[in-house]
Amino acid sequence: MSRKILCVDTDDRVGAVADALDSEETMTTVQATTVEEARTALDEQAIVCVVTEYELADGSGLDVVRAIRETAPQTPCILFTDVPPNEVETDSFEEVIIEYVNRDLPDAHDRLAFIADDVINHSAQVGFLKPDDEQERLDALSRYDVDELPVQESFERLTDLIASHFDAAISFIGLLEEDEENFLACHGGDWDSLTRENTICTHSMLQEDVMVVEDIREDKRFSQNQQLENLGIVSYAGANMTTPDGHVIGQVCLIDHEVRSYSDAQRHELEQFAETAMEILQLRQSLLESRSLEVAQ
Amino acid sequence: MSISSEETFATGSLPLDPIQKGTSILLTGEDADALESVFYKLSAPQADERGVIVSTDESGRSTLRSLDRVSRGSKSRSSVLAAAGSGRDDSVETISDLSDLTMLGMTLSSVLAESQQLEPRFRCGIYLCSTICSEVDDVRSVYRLLNSNFLSELRRGDGLGVCAIDTSADIGANMQSIVAGMKTSFKVHIDVEKTGSREATLSISGLADSDDSVTVAL
Repeated sequence: MSRKILCVDTDDRVGAVADALDSEETMTTVQATTVEEARTALDEQAIVCVVTEYELADGSGLDVVRAIRETAPQTPCILFTDVPPNEVETDSFEEVIIEYVNRDLPDAHDRLAFIADDVINHSAQVGFLKPDDEQERLDALSRYDVDELPVQESFERLTDLIASHFDAAISFIGLLEEDEENFLACHGGDWDSLTRENTICTHSMLQEDVMVVEDIREDKRFSQNQQLENLGIVSYAGANMTTPDGHVIGQVCLIDHEVRSYSDAQRHELEQFAETAMEILQLRQSLLESRSLEVAQ
Repeated sequence: MSISSEETFATGSLPLDPIQKGTSILLTGEDADALESVFYKLSAPQADERGVIVSTDESGRSTLRSLDRVSRGSKSRSSVLAAAGSGRDDSVETISDLSDLTMLGMTLSSVLAESQQLEPRFRCGIYLCSTICSEVDDVRSVYRLLNSNFLSELRRGDGLGVCAIDTSADIGANMQSIVAGMKTSFKVHIDVEKTGSREATLSISGLADSDDSVTVAL
């Protein structure tokens, strides 16, 4: 599958940058020579990576980076420039992370193509940490044919029960895909999916035990997260859904609009609800596979 | 099957087997002196290597001296991005604002690329990542920095990376939870516990052929 890269550079140099990237079989390029043209391209096309010069006619490469971070924050960006880092004006971009490639290096264009390929393949600029076995985890998740499993009613009943049991405003069951969390059932909210770096579950899944955040406004992993604030989330508790071979594929969670804590006994109960959700998913999948086998025979 | 020395990094005076290239180490501990001692032993570059250190709490010169104390000559093979002191040395870049992760990330990428033009093998260390976390408003940008500039460089090149966290620091988030999360993204976790005036115990996970716990002199 071809991946589209936006190259933003001056008239006389953009062609050479695009040529370097086009030499990789799996990449195609879109060219722009101004921030405005870049914004238009980002609006109109599915861009998987941005390569930009710093000095542009109507602004800087960081303006281009900011434009894509507003709409697709996980998209990797590379600043390909001969302007040294200490001459780049970063005052209003303090937490915008980008890759920097010095175009004065002797192998600069080869290096650029190598790095672009690498950052795309590894989603290398996401704002969350991935487990070291992320690919195996995603493989394990893909073995559950969720779209074909009649789990929604069971999970809706379960999230109703969980919310009632804990007297929580919201209870949900979510699966953690590569880039987003998909909610299979949600009591108290109408949630479909969230970008993974905006979810608390992407942190919770890295812990073996139940993760509790009593007040997200006091935790710098979440306090600046506008999406969580918009959803009215104040406190969180999440337990892992773990496959029989040990991969965490999802979470069973409690959300409240006020600060709250959970006792050890409550945390244990939440873990049991997560195990129950996993068992339902596992049994439904086994049943689907058995029926498919019967039909094949 | 033996692994050639080009595939591994020596661990100096630490009683650990050589560590495979590409390895990322999360180094944690609540005693700053013990943590610092182990950090420099892991991060000091040997004869055929370059070192790049992000130093958040000490000047570039002081960092270079610390490297040289652990492995003589490593000072001349190292570059430091220092958030303290001034950059009066060719091998020191001064980071004027540690919360400016855009600048820090670009400078780290640039210095690592220059280092690899001199020697492909490199050691990259961050001392202390907990200080960076405490300086920023949003810890997600630290994760993005680690993903983009630290873990990626180790994946792409012949490097060893050490990221140190002072677990006694106030970073504005649950430290235990942060460390639990970071442990899963790094290949190796070493926790340093000071057990005597010049002695510490290292609790190790993820390092093949090494004991779970070793005692080291500081």
